Amino acid sequence: MTAHKASASHEETTRGSALLTNAVGLHARPSVKLTQLAKTYQAIVSVATEPTGPWIDAKSPVKIMRVKAPKGTTLYFEASGEDAVSAVAALVDLVERRFDEAEEEGHG
Amino acid sequence: MANVGIVIVSHSAKVAEGAADMVRQMVGDEVPLAWAGGNSDGGLGTDVGHILAAIDAAWSEAGVAILVDLGGAETNSEMAIEMLDEARQKRIAICNAPIVEGAVIAATEASGGSPLDIVKQTAEELYPQ
Amino acid sequence: MDKETKLKLITACAECMIRHAEELTALDQAIGDGDHGLNMKRGFEALLADATVLSDKPLPDMLKAIGTQLVMKVGGASGPLYGTLFMALAKEIDDTPSLLSASAAFASAIEAVKARGKSELGQKTMLDVLIPVHRVWVTGGGTGLALAAQAAAEATVPMKAIRGRASFLGDRSIGHMDPGARSSQLLIETITTVLGA
Repeated sequence: MTAHKASASHEETTRGSALLTNAVGLHARPSVKLTQLAKTYQAIVSVATEPTGPWIDAKSPVKIMRVKAPKGTTLYFEASGEDAVSAVAALVDLVERRFDEAEEEGHG
Repeated sequence: MANVGIVIVSHSAKVAEGAADMVRQMVGDEVPLAWAGGNSDGGLGTDVGHILAAIDAAWSEAGVAILVDLGGAETNSEMAIEMLDEARQKRIAICNAPIVEGAVIAATEASGGSPLDIVKQTAEELYPQ
Repeated sequence: MDKETKLKLITACAECMIRHAEELTALDQAIGDGDHGLNMKRGFEALLADATVLSDKPLPDMLKAIGTQLVMKVGGASGPLYGTLFMALAKEIDDTPSLLSASAAFASAIEAVKARGKSELGQKTMLDVLIPVHRVWVTGGGTGLALAAQAAAEATVPMKAIRGRASFLGDRSIGHMDPGARSSQLLIETITTVLGA
């Protein structure tokens, strides 16, 4: 993939989406993992449960925990900044990997 | 720069240890973490000596965020902070947040390398006063 | 202040607290968690053991060391409160205090205790002895402090606790003397006796 350097006037936005397939959806522990991963990128990263938003700061553990998206929800990602492409790819991958959660555990 | 450390201070050793377990499980071990709970006789209460030891154990150049439960935990944490040298005092913050949720959120924020004021602010964002 | 007086102060205060441990515990059992006597005894036993070393220090250093010991050894809620009282005194006092400078140091120590306990006069705490005693000190020039302390401790009996564990009892805290007020009274009595004030 080509990295697009964002200019001041025209910020490149990378988008992606993934279906929540883990049993408990975006519960506490997946929320922590998602924000932790998002924080490893310089890019501004947002999450939404609808393609049109509202967009939530993916680096805010408090805001992400409040999303409370259940299994079957599609998470939409939007990122801008130098490493936006890899940020979105990594987040989509995390959701598709079911947050590396063992399915039989974790109700909180 | 090191990550901000988290100290959990509860009247109950079980609550403090349990909250620390949740932080370890949910956030991982990139964050220095320690707890103090119960008085020196093993009963319910908080102890300045224990709190000082926990601050030492979780010490980080980036500072330490403390999560407390009821009144005495806050009072004794403030006391412990005042007993440290001034350079350290400035790098410790007591978060006005629920102890368990606050510890997890603060640790999550800290694990991303955020500075102490942001860690405190994020923990306090949970249930705005 | 000479070493002998300092030694006498520490020893007398410690012996008084140890002697009254059971009484303080009984008071605390009525309205608190029943550990005040034992906690104070443990703290002052530690001071007694260190009395010689402590009395060798200049007054401010001695008070600071006493405060630290009380914080660490007394524990509970009273450890930090008494610790704060002594550590704050240490900050303001010099080695040869006058009645006036000691009174000013006492005033700022009272403020520090207020801030630590987030409490005020009339909430059935040690402040209900410390503050009236300070008032008498300022107006009476340092006499009658023991009597003032006694009256003030007794005045906590009809008060309703608002701070600390006793506050959980609400109206049921009425009718008992506050253990922290009692221990403060005992300390003031002992100190004034030793200093002949």
